[in-house]
Amino acid sequence: MNRIDYFVLIATILAIPLYGLWRTWNHPNLREYLKGDKTIRWGTIGLSVLATQAGPITFLSMPGQAYESGIGFIQNYFGQPFALIAVCAIFVPIYQRLKVYTAYEYLGQRFDRKTRLLGAFLFLVQRGIAAGITIYAPAIILSALLGWDLNLTIWLAGGFVIAYTVVGGTKIVSLTQRYQILVILVGMALAFGIAVHRLPADLSFTDALSIAGKMGKLQAVDFSIDPSRRYTFWSGILGGFFLSLSYFGADQSQVQRYLAGGSLRASRIGLLFNAIVKVPMQFLILLLGAMVFLFYQFEKPPMFFNQPTYQRAIERGYGPQLTALQAQFDDVFTRKREAIQAMSNASAETSAALTTQVREFDTQARSIRDNTKKILEQAGASPKSKDSDYVFITFVIHHLPHGVVGLLVAVIFCATMSATSAVLNALGSTTAVDLYRPLIRPKASDHHYVIATKVLTAAWGLVAIAVASFASLVENLIEAGNILASVFYGSILGLFLVAFFLRKVCGSAVFFAAVIAQTIVLVLFCTSGIGYLWYNFIGCMAVLLFAWILQQTVFRNTQPPAVRSE
Amino acid sequence: MSEQDRPPIFGTWRKAYAFAIALFAIEVALLYAFTLRFS
Repeated sequence: MNRIDYFVLIATILAIPLYGLWRTWNHPNLREYLKGDKTIRWGTIGLSVLATQAGPITFLSMPGQAYESGIGFIQNYFGQPFALIAVCAIFVPIYQRLKVYTAYEYLGQRFDRKTRLLGAFLFLVQRGIAAGITIYAPAIILSALLGWDLNLTIWLAGGFVIAYTVVGGTKIVSLTQRYQILVILVGMALAFGIAVHRLPADLSFTDALSIAGKMGKLQAVDFSIDPSRRYTFWSGILGGFFLSLSYFGADQSQVQRYLAGGSLRASRIGLLFNAIVKVPMQFLILLLGAMVFLFYQFEKPPMFFNQPTYQRAIERGYGPQLTALQAQFDDVFTRKREAIQAMSNASAETSAALTTQVREFDTQARSIRDNTKKILEQAGASPKSKDSDYVFITFVIHHLPHGVVGLLVAVIFCATMSATSAVLNALGSTTAVDLYRPLIRPKASDHHYVIATKVLTAAWGLVAIAVASFASLVENLIEAGNILASVFYGSILGLFLVAFFLRKVCGSAVFFAAVIAQTIVLVLFCTSGIGYLWYNFIGCMAVLLFAWILQQTVFRNTQPPAVRSE
Repeated sequence: MSEQDRPPIFGTWRKAYAFAIALFAIEVALLYAFTLRFS
């Protein structure tokens, strides 16, 4: 990165929050601090919801995911439109009508205080840790590749977010997210355009897609019912629906986004906007990864993208083994490139044979990379995230023009800041509204609660930075974030589904059902090897089942209270 | 549990939800066509 890059980076990440601070300096009451004012319209809500979900991991990992395994990951989002419609039809009207600040406040009104506290507690534990990972994951990758100090990067990304989120509350989060996501989309579109432009001049875009397709990178939809296949249409619809329903319906970091402004219509249109744009957006990000893959079929890629880890292994005396592998890799790359060039000009008859040949070379290259990783592990230089997470940022740093490099690094920072600000805003609000106000200071002034929420938001920010500082203890960061969410989301979603659909279940029954369900999930997590996405389904179903059983047995004489407006 | 707390039906927004699902179906159909063309 040169001066132009640093100028673009600093200008971009400073300008948006400073503009937000200018627009949202004063908050007269708690409602405005937690929900914003009526100037927040559906466009801001829609972009804010989009920005909250699309964290830095999306933009660092997704292109790498397509580079490694193709664009089939898009199917994981197929359940989301249905979940968003369910949230629009069921969750949003209830939250808006009861004028709750947090999703868990509704649990208090529908059941009792202990169920509300349980819902809030599960959210706070899960999101408090996840916020740290959201800051750490891009920091470790950027610091490794740009040579920045890790702690400085963590504080740069985290400290600034804490400051503006504390000052501006929900309105600044929504406002800054609107511009941050626009910067992100412009940056990714620019990267896409340059990736296509950097392909060989004699290769048309259609030919490029044909080659990527023949190499197995463009299978977007797979209707197979084979359960061993990782991403299919059916697993995307079912698994994606449950995960998205938990995330959009019961995670305060999203609930607070679409309740901003207080208009039912604006909330619904904002969510439906996401139902429509999410799949095309993710498709283009994954297609960008496929283009980067194609680019590296003509331009030799590093054998291992995480170069700092690779260099560490060399320093520890593993140079001869790695040099031998590099020679093999170079040879395979040269032969593969020749076969691809021949394939793009081949007749239909010879094309099939060349395709098989190219795929064999690709398998060989992958095998060499796997062997490289084993040597790095032997050297004790085990990387903290998958090598594919470094693919996109390596492409950006080495192959994009100056200025655009700064913009793309700003994209990563914008994504970190937008996702983290939404989470900190939700953590502070939930702690203030669901714990502090009912348990510690029930009858204080509005001004007192605004100050308390600000202090608690800052405190959660420091917790997130502390988690980020210790996150190096976690083996695979990106997986860790998904596992953590899946372990807790099922039980939280179960609480809400019981509230909506099992109308005769009382607070105690659902409370103990959620405790049992969460215990089962934690035991399964510690003892079994089942895929983590299943925890969402198991946790949710266990709450529904045990709540019904407990209501029919232990609590059969206890009736649920009528919902009251507090 | 009160009437107020009952999940509302799709109501007047039914057309908007149907429109969103129709667009999603078109997106999936285009993705499938893309898969068939380039795989």
